[in-house]
Amino acid sequence: MEKSWRTYKSDGFFDELITAKGNPRAAASQAIKFLKSLSPEELASRRVAAELAIKEMGISFTVYTEGGNIDRAWPFDFIPRVITGREWAQLSRGLLQRMRALNCFINDIYNEQKILADGIVPADIVLESNNYLEPCAGVTPAFGVWAHICGSDIVRDHSGQFFVLEDNLRVPSGVSYMIENREITKRVLPELFENYSILPLDDYPIKLYQTLAALSPRTRRRPNIVVLTPGIYNSAYFEHAYLAHGLGAELVEGADLFVAEDNCVYMRTVDGPTRVDVIYRRINEDFMDPEAFREDSVVGVPGLIRSWKAGRVAIANAPGAGVADDKVIYAFVPDMIEYYLNEKPIVKNVPTYLCMREKDRDYVLGNLDKLVVKPANESGGYGIMVGPHSTKETHKKFARLIEKNPRNYIAQPTLALSTAPTYVDGAIQPRHLDLRPFILQSKDSWVTPGGLTRVALQKGSLVVNSSQGGGSKDTWIVEGES
Amino acid sequence: MLSRVAERLYWMSRYLERTEDTARIVSAYNHLIMDLPKGAEPGWDIMVQILDADPYFHQRFRSVNEQNVLKVLVADGSASCSIPYSIEAARENVRTTRDVLPEETWELVNELALFVREVAPNSVGRRNRHAFLAEVVSRCQTINGLMATTLPRDHAHSFIKVGRLLECADMATRMVDVGAGDILDRDGSTSAFDPLLWGAMLQALSAASAYRRQIGPLVDRDAVVDFVFLDTAFPRSVKFCLQGIGEELGRLSNHEEPLRVLGRVWRRLNRLTKEDMTQAELHGFIDDFQLQLHQLHTAIEETWFRIANS
Repeated sequence: MEKSWRTYKSDGFFDELITAKGNPRAAASQAIKFLKSLSPEELASRRVAAELAIKEMGISFTVYTEGGNIDRAWPFDFIPRVITGREWAQLSRGLLQRMRALNCFINDIYNEQKILADGIVPADIVLESNNYLEPCAGVTPAFGVWAHICGSDIVRDHSGQFFVLEDNLRVPSGVSYMIENREITKRVLPELFENYSILPLDDYPIKLYQTLAALSPRTRRRPNIVVLTPGIYNSAYFEHAYLAHGLGAELVEGADLFVAEDNCVYMRTVDGPTRVDVIYRRINEDFMDPEAFREDSVVGVPGLIRSWKAGRVAIANAPGAGVADDKVIYAFVPDMIEYYLNEKPIVKNVPTYLCMREKDRDYVLGNLDKLVVKPANESGGYGIMVGPHSTKETHKKFARLIEKNPRNYIAQPTLALSTAPTYVDGAIQPRHLDLRPFILQSKDSWVTPGGLTRVALQKGSLVVNSSQGGGSKDTWIVEGES
Repeated sequence: MLSRVAERLYWMSRYLERTEDTARIVSAYNHLIMDLPKGAEPGWDIMVQILDADPYFHQRFRSVNEQNVLKVLVADGSASCSIPYSIEAARENVRTTRDVLPEETWELVNELALFVREVAPNSVGRRNRHAFLAEVVSRCQTINGLMATTLPRDHAHSFIKVGRLLECADMATRMVDVGAGDILDRDGSTSAFDPLLWGAMLQALSAASAYRRQIGPLVDRDAVVDFVFLDTAFPRSVKFCLQGIGEELGRLSNHEEPLRVLGRVWRRLNRLTKEDMTQAELHGFIDDFQLQLHQLHTAIEETWFRIANS
């Protein structure tokens, strides 16, 4: 495959593995040397092997819109993305800092609301947000931490600088795929590992266990932790089961739990009712408790919020944590870092225009063809408009949406997302990607060494979500210089 | 263990056992057919009866012949008696309980389901049938072997074992019942080929060599019924299965009612006197016995799978 590599060119973008001059970056050189040595037939057979491994390991995700075919194999590209340890150290410090500030913010919002009183963040955008949950006011969870597991989406621009694109503080998913991607690479390209020392990923379940166990309201050697899933038809069910297994925890559905008169949560077991200490919930907060939030929820547990407020059970991430992952609030995170921590942000935000501000809105409406417009409160890449890739009609449609509900939209410049060599249609081609590391915080805090790299498999596309045809790559943090 | 999980494990195990047993029955019958002269075959409807597929089958086909029966049992995913249906049901149950099973269980069950999806449609004909069935049986045994050697002896193991043994006992009684019934149907007298039929039945239970060592090479109805129901050493005999179920139920909490029902089944089994029994009596006994097995299932369900709020 020498030729395919020789003609490889990522025009105007920062490439993760290849420099602008076309040479491998130092950290990636051994891997590329090996990949170059493989014949086209051999590369094709590695790809088949990867697909087979994925099928056999049963790594799947679910797409709602596909009717009969609910269980889809995980799309994976076997060429790893390589990041140096030095770059990583800086980024992970930035992520920990960010998480600390976000948790200070959430706890402040549900208690004293100092940041609102001081005018750093406008009160109305917080208190009128759908993500602000009135029933949670007045609670201070253990360690003042509301968001215990965060998945932040990181991108690099044309110069290679890292930016945070968004923080997912409710039910971030993808961590199981991050671990499984490493597993597949080990099976399919074992030779690649010979000349590298790569930070391992497989202790994530242990770190997650420690994070959750520290929240237990009872002091027991082994608290009862459960993973609460909406069930088999959720797109991330594979991950829920995977994590429950890794934690040695029960994977429960709403109907497995009930709140008794003592305000404690119990699960229905073959030994009768058993008390639960910590719930790692993977259902959206609106559905958690029909008593407190949506009455029509069939996947929730009536009385759960009552039990949580009484301190009888810990919930991770705490209900209400979503108030900080609103895309409008996102624009204020750098201010929060300065306000609560008195530090300068280590990782930058992507410049963000808030359509609720008249000046910003005028700019956005006048430049729809250059900007990415996002609804403030959606995930999974739904409802996004990538200006340069959209038609005039779509621009008009979004202009109307923005004028109708300016609070609900933000816009960001179209970033020249970094690329990495990806095996597509029998050749090595540049494809855009992002990175989702996972940050844990309770008594201690921790960042996964690496994260889930998602890659847009369509040429030129910037949409990396698996629900929209994106793929993924193994992500290596390696010792050495770039 | 969650009640819901226990229930799924129990059914996973039953469906896995059913997959294996169905493959065994089809395979053994397949061998038998080749041994019998034309015209003397007991007919393919025997398979349809063993597997309780009468209504489904007759909705779709007018004639019961090899091709039609095999099409349903080997390749029809919508027939609840088929191999594809059973393995998909087992897979779905593992998919939702993989967090309590050894890591490789999901991979193996998933692989088996994928294998059946892919290969079953081309395994209806005589040419590929045998290899397919043998592969299914062997993979089921691999999965059971994995669980037997790596699953901690906790609740998961108990419910898996109970599910497997109950299914195994149920299948054994079905086979004896239909074998006996079929012979009765043919002019009320035994035919020269009966030993072959009973031999095939032992094959289907993987009991042929155990039977030879224990009882001897001669195969007749009473000896087979005795062996299949009452042998205490053969792991697929009804008695052995019930004994195993009793051991497991005893380990679980709140076991009083299920154990009481099991006691009733046990006493019924020990009252089986196969000598001098007419075919009709044997059939009546088995009917009654299957009903009791079902009551045992209900007692297990009520005790451990349905927990109220309190």
